Amino acid sequence: MTDPMSGAAPVAPPKSLRELFSGFFWIGARSFGGVMPWAYRTMVEERRWLSEADFTEIIGLCQFLPGPNIGNASVVLGKRWFGLPGAIVAFLGLMALPFVWVLALFMVYNDLSSYETLREIVIGVGAAGAGLFIGTAIKLARPLAKKPVALALIAACFLFVAVARFSLVIVLPVGIAIALFAALRDWL
Amino acid sequence: MNLLELGLYFALLSLLSVGGLPSVMPEMQRFVVELKGWLTPADFMQAFAVGQAAPGPNVLITSLIGWKVAGLPGAFVALGAMCLPAAVLAWWVADLWDRFKDSPWRRAVQRAIAPVVIGMILSGGVVLATPGAPDWRLWLIAGLAAGGMLVTKLNPLWLLSAGGVLGALLL
Repeated sequence: MTDPMSGAAPVAPPKSLRELFSGFFWIGARSFGGVMPWAYRTMVEERRWLSEADFTEIIGLCQFLPGPNIGNASVVLGKRWFGLPGAIVAFLGLMALPFVWVLALFMVYNDLSSYETLREIVIGVGAAGAGLFIGTAIKLARPLAKKPVALALIAACFLFVAVARFSLVIVLPVGIAIALFAALRDWL
Repeated sequence: MNLLELGLYFALLSLLSVGGLPSVMPEMQRFVVELKGWLTPADFMQAFAVGQAAPGPNVLITSLIGWKVAGLPGAFVALGAMCLPAAVLAWWVADLWDRFKDSPWRRAVQRAIAPVVIGMILSGGVVLATPGAPDWRLWLIAGLAAGGMLVTKLNPLWLLSAGGVLGALLL
């Protein structure tokens, strides 16, 4: 049965733990260059476990929570559909193959790292990866560009963490407390 | 004992990793490299690079750091410690989150977290691009990748590959 408006199949949760595992396994298996797009494609477009709005809501929650976003999403969704077994199965499905992959890649790299050129390539990849963090920060900061208090908070966190090298254990709680104070006064 | 210390500290970071792994990267570097000296800055960066290039959630980088510190058990302990406390919290908070959907507190918290997380992610990028002494070539590669990400919609893998090529040419 398809939805006459969009032509898409109706949204229905996975029917079994096996199906839940295979869905998350495929998300992990294909996620070259970032997991989120594949999570969307698998759960919203291909398997129709979630509507687009459900997906956005879950991701919003998981970005707010500490921890790996997509890992949290697997726990929250697994719980919603199958309780504790669901949370465990979804999380393991997501991590299983990428875990093996990354360790295997690292082992190969360690064996070959005496080759100077390979070391240089990997350090170049690392620098580009660091650049992706910087790009992400700029992207996220764009909507805040006209809020001076937000920009001051970003700058202060940067100075304390990257320049003065204070511990996150101190900077994060203090930063969030100040930001919360500002948010409640509508400065953010 | 390194294993226990690593596990406990990463478990603490798990609960502080608002915004995901990128937010805690500068602190992991500080702890593992600067405070404990378990890894050299170059080791840390290489673990990060391999973790970024491999498919899967970027939290897997922690398993490579654990591996460098204490072998295969280190890989399991580091990854588990980084994921489990946050997962338990997510388990409990998911229901609360729905209940407070329209609360002004929830909106305030969401708005408050954004600038702090952005500051952490920016720090992560700069710290990772500066392993050891500042090197303009690494900053150039990082700057180009950041720019490429902002002006194109390329899959990040292309930007990482370009970084690899520039690394071979410049370094």
